[in-house]
Amino acid sequence: MPAIFKVSYVVRGEDHPGAILNTEQAPKVGDRVRIGEREFTVVEVQELIPPREDFHFLHATVKGR
Amino acid sequence: MGDLETILQQGELFDGLSAEELQSIAAICREKRLRAGETITRQGEEGDELFIVCEGAVEVSLTVPGPDSSARAVVHLGRGQIFGEMALVDQGPRSATVRSTADNTLLQAMGRQEFMDLCERNHHLGYVVMRNMAADLSFKLRHRNLTGR
Repeated sequence: MPAIFKVSYVVRGEDHPGAILNTEQAPKVGDRVRIGEREFTVVEVQELIPPREDFHFLHATVKGR
Repeated sequence: MGDLETILQQGELFDGLSAEELQSIAAICREKRLRAGETITRQGEEGDELFIVCEGAVEVSLTVPGPDSSARAVVHLGRGQIFGEMALVDQGPRSATVRSTADNTLLQAMGRQEFMDLCERNHHLGYVVMRNMAADLSFKLRHRNLTGR
């Protein structure tokens, strides 16, 4: 099975709940991500906890326009 | 492996199960397709199903009792995520209200009794799913710590 990235997206500079979702590729700085009805830009990506089997656990900070 | 088993395999909850075990999970799942804005669970109500987001997204919101009792979104959950697991393991009322935020949101629902029966018959399956459920709850707590909500 290909790697799966479980990502905690946290919105910087806003009172926003963020999101948790699985992606097939690790998010990169500059990527756009849709959370609810809005789009955000990824500004930072870190490993949140060590990978287990095919799953990677990441934390991405995003910001709105 | 069937389509549903392949989808289930892509969620962390069932990581570590054999193809046969995934098949037995798939056999007790029921599909639910939703339009944006539909409510799936309501905080405080009875509930005995766990849900897996296969497509689309949902918003989880909480109402804290008190003078300012408006609902507050605490997280959005997309593909591969689960919700409703607290009612599955502690049999308490729903801890949050969850609604779909995208058209064609596709969920798989798993009932408490059917799941517990499966765990009784197959302890390895029960251990793996409960372990993964604990890891998922831990991930959600880390997310909440990071968002400060």
